[in-house]
Parts: sequence; structure tokens; C-alpha cells
Amino acid sequence: MRVSSRQNIMKDLTVKEAMRRLIINLTAEATLEEAIRYAVKYKVNAILITGADQAAVGVVTKTDLMGAYYAGLPLSTPAASIMVGPPLFCHLDDSLDTALDSMRTHKIHRLYVREEAAAPVVGVLAYPDIVGLLYRYCHQCDKNLRRDTGDSEDLLADRVLLKEVMTPGVFALGVNDSLLQVMEGLAAHKFGALLITGEDGAPAGVISKTDLILAYQHQTPPEAPAHTVMTRRVEACDYNDILVNALRRMIFADVSRLFVYRESPRNIVGVFSLSDATRFRSGTCRACVSSRIRPH
Amino acid sequence: MDITAREVMDTRYSTLSPRMTIGEAFQVFQKAGEVHRQIVFGMVVTDAAGQLLGMLSMYDILLLIRPKHIHIWGEIKDVEVEGILDEALRRARSMLVSDIMTTDLTTITPDMHLLRIIDIMIKKHVRRLPVLEEGKMVGMVYLSRVFQHLLERGSA
Repeated sequence: MRVSSRQNIMKDLTVKEAMRRLIINLTAEATLEEAIRYAVKYKVNAILITGADQAAVGVVTKTDLMGAYYAGLPLSTPAASIMVGPPLFCHLDDSLDTALDSMRTHKIHRLYVREEAAAPVVGVLAYPDIVGLLYRYCHQCDKNLRRDTGDSEDLLADRVLLKEVMTPGVFALGVNDSLLQVMEGLAAHKFGALLITGEDGAPAGVISKTDLILAYQHQTPPEAPAHTVMTRRVEACDYNDILVNALRRMIFADVSRLFVYRESPRNIVGVFSLSDATRFRSGTCRACVSSRIRPH
Repeated sequence: MDITAREVMDTRYSTLSPRMTIGEAFQVFQKAGEVHRQIVFGMVVTDAAGQLLGMLSMYDILLLIRPKHIHIWGEIKDVEVEGILDEALRRARSMLVSDIMTTDLTTITPDMHLLRIIDIMIKKHVRRLPVLEEGKMVGMVYLSRVFQHLLERGSA
């Protein structure tokens, strides 16, 4: 396996090394119901919409589907009517650095990959795809902290504490607040999931965008209270837990974010997402500029 | 005599309901396997009137079970995996059949020639085709049954 010798590891890696090759796409005639089913089945946040000639014409995200639920659109509405397009592209041989710059500039979470302009889409690059790659390269890098300290056993992620990389603060709603309020909260704070607290103020559950689009598909009225669709398990880690334990927890629970508590699981103080995970090298190593890949 | 779907289709097939949970669907798959004395890899989903709504296949279930961040798991040393499969199954069991079924189905009619059925199975990468007559489901053609027919006819 190649080890980066350059100063900036993100410049040395190309898009094709990090991208996923499975493209989840639907035609422009597909309905919102089909788009929800695809997002849930393939566990993706976005679906590529293709035209008659297989050309990529737009993207429908879980956020767009949640917006359609909020607006009361029928499930039979064509997905193309809510898509955002055209999608943004990068090239197979672009450096990750260039691709990430493009994602930051356009404030988007993914780029579709082509070999050349007007060629078919061959992959998709999103922030979670980069986490695993960074992890691999950082552990092989000569400038890795564990090597600097002469410690060959401990991994860097075994040393970084969750409190150093989490996003502090939490926004929560109550079990009797409506799904409309939940959707407003998610949209206003740009969160992927919201903490739901019980009448005693203790964490009672979580509502993610996936829970909401499934509620949409099940035709649950958007005025229904949060407790009717929330997941009654709050995946959380201790503030002082190490990063690698949080990553393990995320893989085990199949979630993209964890809530972080301090002293007691009742006291949620922050959120840790996969994009936060990409910051774990920040301040520990000059070889990498991974802090730049935090989405805005 | 030329063979059509009618001659190779199974008229006894198990069905799933769209509001069934995946946990309940697992039980129907198992029971169907016992009845047909072979593993069942896919089943049609119908409404109360018997109208075809979709299909739930083994692949749909595998997609549901696979962790979304499995690519990161591949990079991290010593990830604790004990119990992860049971946890994935616990989550999957509460989903509904309609949440993940495939609705973009190819169907055939009873009078379709066997060679045309083979062509569809090759082109669409499907192992089973629902047979509809005047919009109503009357049978299923399985790839294994088609192949068995070819073997019998070819060795006669």
C-alpha cells in the first residue's frame, strides 16, 4: 500500500481511491415513494436522477424528501419535481484536496464522479467515504503522532477524546412536539437527527431524517407527536470516551451520529458525527489538513 | 410443441403483505422453504385483493442487514463485532416489507415463449418472473424450473 510522502496527504490521494462505485439512481419519472424506498433500502442520503439518455440531471436528498413531507406533497409526485440540479461533478483523477475544496465552496455533501465531461457517472464521493481512507493513511504516515512518541501499539484514535472532536451543544424537542416542529428544527439547525426528550427532560429517543421519510411513506400525519415515530434508543457515548470507541459504536448501531453525554446519560452535551471524525488529526500533525474537510 | 410460461410456471407460491414486518417475512420465507423443500430467495408482495405490488428478494434483505459504514469498519483495527449481526437483525425485523420491496418489476403473460422468458432473465438479471393474466397474478416462473426443463428436454 502506498504511503504518502508529500506534505499534504489530501493532495496525494485521488478521488478514485475514496469514491463509492455503486451509484443509486432513479429515472426522472420515479415517484417520491420510490425515492424514499431507495434511500432507505440502500442507506444513502441522496439519489441521482437520470434522464432518458442516462445523463445525470439532478439529485434528491433525504432533506428534499423531508421538505416534500413538510409541504404535504403526494407520494405519487415525480421525484424530478423536487430534485436539485444539475449535480456537481468531479473527475476520477482529481486530488481529494480539489474535490473537498469544491464541496466546501458549494456547501454540498457529495460530488458525482466522471472520467471526463459529458461521460457517464462512475462514482460518488461523500464525507463518510473519506473517513476510512484517512484512518488508513494516517496510520501509515511517518508523521503520525504514535510514531513521534515512539509508541508503536496505540493508534491515534485511541488517544483522542470525544470531547475534543464533538460538536458541542444540543437542540432537543419534547415527545409531544409535532413532526412538523421536528422538521423545522432539523432544517433550522442543519442536523441529520434530533434528540427527543421526555416530560422529565431526560433523553427519550431520536428522530432522524430516515425516520421522517419512513413516516411520510407510511402516511403518518405530520401533525403527529414525535413519540409516534422516534427511535426509542439514544445511541450515546461518554464525553471522555476515546474516538475509536465512538466509531465502533457508530458501526455497531448503524448510525451516522452519536449523542455525547457528560457524567450521566441524562446530560447530553453534544453530538459526534462522521464528519467530526475526520477532524481527529487536527492539531496533532502538520502533514494533514483534514480539518478542512469539515462540511459547512 | 413449443413451451410457454404456462407450462413452466408454479401456480403454488407464497406471498407477503406490504404491512408485514421483515421479522414476519423471515418466518414466511422459512415456512415457504419447508413447503417447497428448497430455500426461497424471493417472494411477491400482494394486497388483500391479490394485486401484485412488488417483490422482496434475498438481495433486498442483504442490503438492509449490511451496515452503512462497513467501509470504515474495514479500516479500523479491532472493532468489537460480537453481537453486531444480532443487532442488525433486530433493527431489520421492525421494518416493513413495503419499506424495502422492489416495485419496478418485469412481469410476463402465460403465453410467453420459453426462449423469450430466458432472454428477459438474462437481460434483467432476474431469477423469477411473476405471470399475469388480465392483470391478475396466476403463477411464478423460476429460473431453476426453466433450467430443469431445459435439462430434461436436452437429455431426452
